[in-house]
Amino acid sequence: MLLEIQSEALVKTLDELKSKGFNYLKKITAVDHGDNLEVLYMLYDTESNIEESVMVRMPAVYAEVPTIMKLYKAADWYERELSEMFGIRIRGRDAKRLLLEEWEGTGTPLRKSFRWGRPPGVPGGYIGVKQQ
Amino acid sequence: MRINIGPIHPSTHGALKLVAYVDGDTIQKIETHIGFLHRGVEKLMENRIYMQNAAYAEKLDYLAPLSWDDLYVSAVEQATGTQVKEKAQYLRVILLEFQRMASHLLWLGMFCNDIGQSLTMFMWASRERAKIIKLLEDVSGNRMFYMNLRLGGFSRNMPRDFTERAYDLIGYLEQKLAEYPEVLDSNPIFMERTKGVGVLSRKDAIDCGVSGPVLRGSGVSADVRKSKPYYVYDKFKFIAPIRNTGDAYSRYRVRFEEMHQSLGIIKQALDTMPQEGDALGSKIKLRSNDANPAPITVSRELPRGEGMIYMVPGKQGPYRISLRSPVFTNLYALSRMCEGAKFADLFSILGSLDIVLGEVDR
Repeated sequence: MLLEIQSEALVKTLDELKSKGFNYLKKITAVDHGDNLEVLYMLYDTESNIEESVMVRMPAVYAEVPTIMKLYKAADWYERELSEMFGIRIRGRDAKRLLLEEWEGTGTPLRKSFRWGRPPGVPGGYIGVKQQ
Repeated sequence: MRINIGPIHPSTHGALKLVAYVDGDTIQKIETHIGFLHRGVEKLMENRIYMQNAAYAEKLDYLAPLSWDDLYVSAVEQATGTQVKEKAQYLRVILLEFQRMASHLLWLGMFCNDIGQSLTMFMWASRERAKIIKLLEDVSGNRMFYMNLRLGGFSRNMPRDFTERAYDLIGYLEQKLAEYPEVLDSNPIFMERTKGVGVLSRKDAIDCGVSGPVLRGSGVSADVRKSKPYYVYDKFKFIAPIRNTGDAYSRYRVRFEEMHQSLGIIKQALDTMPQEGDALGSKIKLRSNDANPAPITVSRELPRGEGMIYMVPGKQGPYRISLRSPVFTNLYALSRMCEGAKFADLFSILGSLDIVLGEVDR
C-alpha cells in the first residue's frame, strides 16, 4: 500500500499509522525526479506482517520534511543520510557531524544534478571527472 | 572520561570508530562513527548497467556475498519480468542456506575470539566454513565473490556430483555442530560473558528497527522467509528460532539454531529438487530487455537480517537504487544496548551484532 501525502501531514499520518500497529520503520529513502523529490517512509507491522509506505512529494528547490524521531528511533540515521545525500532539510533536528561523507561541502551526491569530482578546497589529488 | 576506539581496531571488524563516555568502567554513552568505507555504491550503481552492478552488490557484504548478489539479481529479475527456472529456485535456496551457515560460522568463531574464548572455536568454525566455501567455489569457480547468478538461473550448471557432496557436507556439519555446545553452553567463561550482556528489550528492538537474529533474539518473530516467502521456501518445513531475553547469549542461540534449520532446509530441498532440466540463466549481454519503469521493492532474509532493495528501474540500468542494509540499523541499536553496560562487555555486545561495515557504509 502506498499513501501519498503532503509534508505538513506527515507526522500526524505516521502517528495514526503507528497507533494502528505499524510500529516498525524499515527504511526512509528518496528519489530525485529532477523538478521534484519523493521521500518514502516504509513501515511494517510486526504482529500481522503488513507493509505500508508513505510518500511525500516536494519541489526539489525547497526540500524539507519534519523529523519523525519522536515516533521511530530508527529514523535517526536514515534522516541524517537523507540530508547528506539529497540535501533535504530535516525540520526539528540539529545539524550533527556527517554520517557517511567525509567532508563538508561535497554537495548532495544522490541528486541527479550532482557533478562528479572533488569540490574546490577538498584535500587530495585529482580524481574522476573534472569539475566544470 | 572519553575513550576512543578505532577506526582501526581488531575487534571492530572493519573501520568503525566508537567513542565511549565512561564513568569508572560503566558506559554512559556510546557514539558510533561510521562512513569510513563509504564508496557511494548507490550512486555508482545508478551510473552502470544492470549486469555490472551485481559485482557491487556482492562487495557490500564480503562475508555472505551470495546473499546480496541474490537480492540484487532478484530485483533485476522482477524489474525485467524474468522467471526463475524451477530447478534454479531449489539450487538458489540450497546455496543461500549454505552461505548463511558459512556466515554464521565465521561470526561464531570471531565472536568467541572477541570475548576471549581463545582460538578453539575460531579454528573449529573455520574448519567447517572452509568445507562450505569449497563447495561454493566448485559450484561457481570463485572462492570469495561467486558471481554465478544470472537472470533466471545460474551462469553454469552444478557439478555432476553436487547432490552427493551436499548430502555428505550436511552429514559432516550435523556431526560437528553437535560438538559445539560442549565448548560454548557448558563453558562458564562463555556463559558469563554473554548471559545478561547487552540486553535489548522487545520494545527497543522494534523502535530501533533492528532485524534478523538481533530482532528474533529480542522475542519478535520476523523472518522474510516466513512472512513473504520467496523461491520455494514455502514448500519446506522450518521455524524461525526466537529467544525472549534479548542478550548476547540469546543472539548466539538464535544463530546457532538457525544453522540447524538451514541444514533441514537444504536436506528437504535436495530431496525434492527436480532432477531433469537445467538451471542456466541468460547470458551476460550489454543490452538486456528494457525494464518496466514501475518502482519495485524486494526483500530477502540475509544472514544478518532483512535486506531490501527499492529500485526505480531505468531502461538499461537503475534510475535510483536504494539499499536497506540490516547491519546499518543493528549497529544503530548499539548505543541503546551499551547504556549502563561495563566497558569490558562492549566488544561482547558489538560482536554479538555480527557487523559487516561494507554494507553499513555502502
